[in-house]
Amino acid sequence: MALDDFKAMQERCSNCLGCKWIPFDKIKSQRFGENCPSVCYFNFNTYSARGRFQLGLGILTKDVEYTETVTEAVHNCTTCGLCDVSCKVTRYNLEPLEHNLELKADAVKKGKTLPAQKPIMEALAKEKTMLVGKSKASRTKWADGLGLKDLTKEKAEVLFFPGCKFSYDEKLQKTAQSAVRILKKSGVDLGYMGSSDMCCAGRALQMGFQDDFKKNAEANIALFKKSGVKTIVTPCSDCYHAFKRQYAKLGLDIEVLHTVEYLDRLIQSGKIKFTKTIQKTVTYHDPCHLGRLGENYIPWNGKEKKILNQVHTWEPRRPRYIGAYGIYDAPRNVLKSIPGVNLVEMERIKEYSWCCGAGGGCSDTNPEFSSWTASERITEANSTGAETLVTACPWCETNFRNAVDENGKKIAVLDVLELVEQAL
Amino acid sequence: MAFSADIYKAFEDVVGKRNISKDIGIVETYRCAAAQSSAHYGPYDHKTPKPEAVLLPGSTDEVQNIVKLCNKYDVKFKASSTFWSSMGFIGDDNAVQLDMRRMRSIEIDEKNMIAIVEPYAIAAVVQAEAMKVGLTLNVPGVGCSSSPLASTAGWVGFGPTSISMGCSSENMLGAEWVLPNGEILRTGSLGAGAGWFCGEGPGPSTRAILRGFQGSTGSLGVCTKIGIRLHPWPGPTFIPTRGTVPAYKADLPDNFKAYTLCYKTWDDYAKGLALLHEAEILFLGHRQFNMFGRDIKTAMLKILTDTDMQLCDIPELVKDPELKKVNDDMKIEVQVIIAGVTKRDAEYKEKALDKVLEMSGGWKSKFMLEKDMMDYVLLYLIRMGHKNLNYVLCGAYEGNYGLSGNLFVSAKVMEEASALKRKWELEHTDIAAHGGDSDMGSCCIIGGGGPTGWEFFTNFDAHDKASIKGTAEFFNETQRWMTEKGLGVDMGHWNQDLRKENGYWFSQEEHDAMYAKLPQPLVTVYQYKAREAINPKHLCGSYYRTLTPGKYNSQ
Repeated sequence: MALDDFKAMQERCSNCLGCKWIPFDKIKSQRFGENCPSVCYFNFNTYSARGRFQLGLGILTKDVEYTETVTEAVHNCTTCGLCDVSCKVTRYNLEPLEHNLELKADAVKKGKTLPAQKPIMEALAKEKTMLVGKSKASRTKWADGLGLKDLTKEKAEVLFFPGCKFSYDEKLQKTAQSAVRILKKSGVDLGYMGSSDMCCAGRALQMGFQDDFKKNAEANIALFKKSGVKTIVTPCSDCYHAFKRQYAKLGLDIEVLHTVEYLDRLIQSGKIKFTKTIQKTVTYHDPCHLGRLGENYIPWNGKEKKILNQVHTWEPRRPRYIGAYGIYDAPRNVLKSIPGVNLVEMERIKEYSWCCGAGGGCSDTNPEFSSWTASERITEANSTGAETLVTACPWCETNFRNAVDENGKKIAVLDVLELVEQAL
Repeated sequence: MAFSADIYKAFEDVVGKRNISKDIGIVETYRCAAAQSSAHYGPYDHKTPKPEAVLLPGSTDEVQNIVKLCNKYDVKFKASSTFWSSMGFIGDDNAVQLDMRRMRSIEIDEKNMIAIVEPYAIAAVVQAEAMKVGLTLNVPGVGCSSSPLASTAGWVGFGPTSISMGCSSENMLGAEWVLPNGEILRTGSLGAGAGWFCGEGPGPSTRAILRGFQGSTGSLGVCTKIGIRLHPWPGPTFIPTRGTVPAYKADLPDNFKAYTLCYKTWDDYAKGLALLHEAEILFLGHRQFNMFGRDIKTAMLKILTDTDMQLCDIPELVKDPELKKVNDDMKIEVQVIIAGVTKRDAEYKEKALDKVLEMSGGWKSKFMLEKDMMDYVLLYLIRMGHKNLNYVLCGAYEGNYGLSGNLFVSAKVMEEASALKRKWELEHTDIAAHGGDSDMGSCCIIGGGGPTGWEFFTNFDAHDKASIKGTAEFFNETQRWMTEKGLGVDMGHWNQDLRKENGYWFSQEEHDAMYAKLPQPLVTVYQYKAREAINPKHLCGSYYRTLTPGKYNSQ
């Protein structure tokens, strides 16, 4: 795809600006009714999905050029996909998220990148991680002593893929280690990629670096296939989305599960039993890439077909990603099964969950914007009365960990895995 | 003409660096594509002009200072909050666009049943906040993404609940208004320091000037805050929903019922509606789902209530013999909602509704009584959250044969109007072919009943130049037919005297040439005088229809 391929969508966007709000039927208050971190922070229409369609069209028609402001606007999108969900409540033939991503890719192809992106992409090329300053040599230290099978040398049913954040962040490493211990104790035949382990590069795609993503994805797919694993389990929502939706487009046909899905299965089947009570009121944050962007990839090859003179559809039937079948129940099932845990919900949940602010590379490229986005979520979490904010993504967790709400108040942040381990 | 650095700096000093931009990309996103949201003057294959700068004021003081600077430097301006249609966009060079999204406060005065709102408090959030205390507001047909301030102060604002709450303009109380010359006028009771409760007094009553003929579309200065009359909401503090996106359904208590009332003839239909106007039992009345077209409306209802269905399912669904029967059953229909305040009230309203049906020869569609369908309709019509279904078929729509007037007149010619559209659908491929009749609209445009507000939804493809052109030609054809019938101005032409085909506003000379020929030109002469008093430099207000007095006298 190229930006040109989106011209019809750009011209067919109706300017309804529903892309600025969560689905209207779900709005409970003004305070938590909006959906797009980018337009909420920067305020100009330009930053909405509608504005991005206009920007993209302007670039194609040469009414717009990549000024510094335009370049920043294009990249200051967390690619959370909530505009996409809201749009599709009423539109059956627009793909705002795909367009936002393509707009980023167009900027990258034309050399219009942000200064902070350069070292990240260099780190990916040299150290196979998108965390600047981390080395390939230290990537798998977190796994020392866990007795994981090295899949480059031996076989296992399940690949545990921690992703960069769980591999390098000291606090998160402990969570990854917990996950491995829980899975192994439950009898899962588990391995990791050993010295071949590297970044999924999903974040490169979110930043518009399509070629870099493809190169890394193809390398990973080859390794996964060679390992012979039947299932990939990851505690990282970004990796999950990358494998399940993006790698699948490139030919990955191995089952992909998030750790919370696997834990849910183990709890349902009685392989995990809790022995302790955790007296906590918690609220759950749906990571974008596990929730609304966690739907299965469905291959499709077709073309537009007009019916009833002017109604545009696709032939054959085109898959429609609307967030309806994201992973929402599994983490909630796990939390509800822990004795003592009281789950209270925020106003924006599931397919219309507010983004943590880390997506699209924004936590690295525009920390102020990213941190403000996280702060909005902390405010929402604190409004529920919960004492702990639980999530299932290391990017979300890290972003929340350093944020405070609008009154300067923090909230304890945990991964679902941490609560599970506490209750075992 | 580009701004000088000094002028830009002066504006920047008012709103702060973060809230102003003249960047080529930013201003491009403040141009209206007249093929998509022309709002009754297109469609045309062009965009409105680029503003010199976009400003995001955060307070009334900032708006006032911006307007004063516009007067000082002779810069035209236009404010908009939701940018839903062309009305909110600038239409000249040397103009700035005000984006009001930073001004969004809502204050609910529960005791006096008033919402005091700023421009970017959209209907969806005002409704959500009002429902918390058992109140709600009239959400106009444009939907809940619209600004109640804009539809109340600047347009008519009729919609599904107008039958019980009146149209938005009828609910206008006090207002805070930055005049085009930069002065602030507080109208009605607000102007006397007595709060927001009345639009007419004891302070200055300027509703006729602020709103103009049928609403000035907000073009005379900037309305920064208004009081809106709220109405009782006999439901929960939030409407709970079930179902999976996008097919959400309401879970409301039994005192809420949605019915689709069907009739054999338009005469029966008109009689039934008139009886409903008199009975005063409806919470809401709207002809809604016929917007999809007579041939496909039940297919579309199936699609909208099922997460997995898509537009490509239409051809198969319309072949379904059961749905065909339902379509026939619902050929002439209207949606209504009754809301009982008490159990007894609900029972009374049910009985009265049945009596109206008996007296007018109507019946309730069984298809629409299915629980999921009823709950979908309740959610759709009460929240108006799916309103952008206007665009669901093609992405672009415009209303034609918009006859806002006497129910018995509009109903009489409904079949003729349908035939005209059907002929165009079959002989041309420019507009969507969905059965001719795609009439929809509000059961009343004045609180309590009387005139109704209809339009035929005409769907076309804004990406297809032939479709845009052909749709405009179809509207011209409709106007020819309406003129022949003495039915007035076609809805597709309602605003053609306010913005040119190229997206620019008309000059005074051009307006003079048009309005001198009006049947009642003195209205526009009066408006000219009103405008001169508060807008001597003509920096805004192109949508406020004016005729130079001398020009009229010379005709």
